[in-house]
Amino acid sequence: MISLIFFLAVGLILFSSLFFLARRNARPEGGSDELVGARQALSALQAGLLPPNLVQRVFAVEDWDYVCSTTPQTIQEMFMEERKRISLLWIDQVRDQIRSLGRFHRGAARHYAQLNPRMEMELAFRFATLMTACRALHLVVYLAGPYAAPRMVTAMANAAGRACEISEQSLRFLNAAQLGVVSARSAA
Amino acid sequence: MDVEHAASDLRKRTLAEIPRSLDRLIYLASMRDYNTGLYYHDGLASQFTQEVACQALADCHREAFGQLVACSLRELVGQMEGYIESTHTSPRDFVSAWKKLEPYRVAVPVETDPVTAQLLFSSFKIALAILEARLASAAPPQPTA
Repeated sequence: MISLIFFLAVGLILFSSLFFLARRNARPEGGSDELVGARQALSALQAGLLPPNLVQRVFAVEDWDYVCSTTPQTIQEMFMEERKRISLLWIDQVRDQIRSLGRFHRGAARHYAQLNPRMEMELAFRFATLMTACRALHLVVYLAGPYAAPRMVTAMANAAGRACEISEQSLRFLNAAQLGVVSARSAA
Repeated sequence: MDVEHAASDLRKRTLAEIPRSLDRLIYLASMRDYNTGLYYHDGLASQFTQEVACQALADCHREAFGQLVACSLRELVGQMEGYIESTHTSPRDFVSAWKKLEPYRVAVPVETDPVTAQLLFSSFKIALAILEARLASAAPPQPTA
């Protein structure tokens, strides 16, 4: 009787271990949706939001100088309101894409064996810093206007660009062909 | 490679004749079918293929858009003044129509980043306000009774 209970217990332990192991390995690689989302966020940041000419244009003081020297008060107010709206939109978009990229690196990244844990740690730190910087810049622009913190804008854009470069290096194991397959799978 | 040749041909033969990026943007946007998003240019399509011509027009459209976004507000106002002159319409009518219809919204290439598109729309809005203010200040004084 004791032997039976002993073997049943051993069997139960083995079965439970197998069950947990099977669950842990059920998803050896991350989901394609997260991966495509991360690549899209990276592309939106690098090609859409962070090119220096766009950042310079959004926060261009020369436009403000031109408006101040040639237009009446009403147009100056309109200009300031519009540029503030665009600046906040830019900051929010950068923050959203950084958040999306950070979510991928924090969550789905652990399923990819090819990712370097040290690089992921560095990225996690950079993303956290960037999110804080985005919130701070949003507050400054909201309270004091788009021309209140030009150095902060440049520093944030540079830091976001650097984080994108590291993220890109981290995801380099996926070449364009593999990504095409993943995109096609997720589209289907 | 064909697309590059077609784009280069388009730049040399057609776009070189259009000096302002605003005019080029409007011209290239007018080559696009709003129902399909595809660009058509018979001359280019006969020289290359329809697909190559479409891609070349799309590339040049993106290029013109990028050039216009990179303009300062002063340059944009200058480009709009030049464009108004080239259309031979009354500046007042032009400004009024553009303020109401906002035709620049349909001149944006597909897959443009929303912040970039919003920045250009906002710049157009301000440029129109500046032109309107200039027209108002240049208006002859109303005769008094």
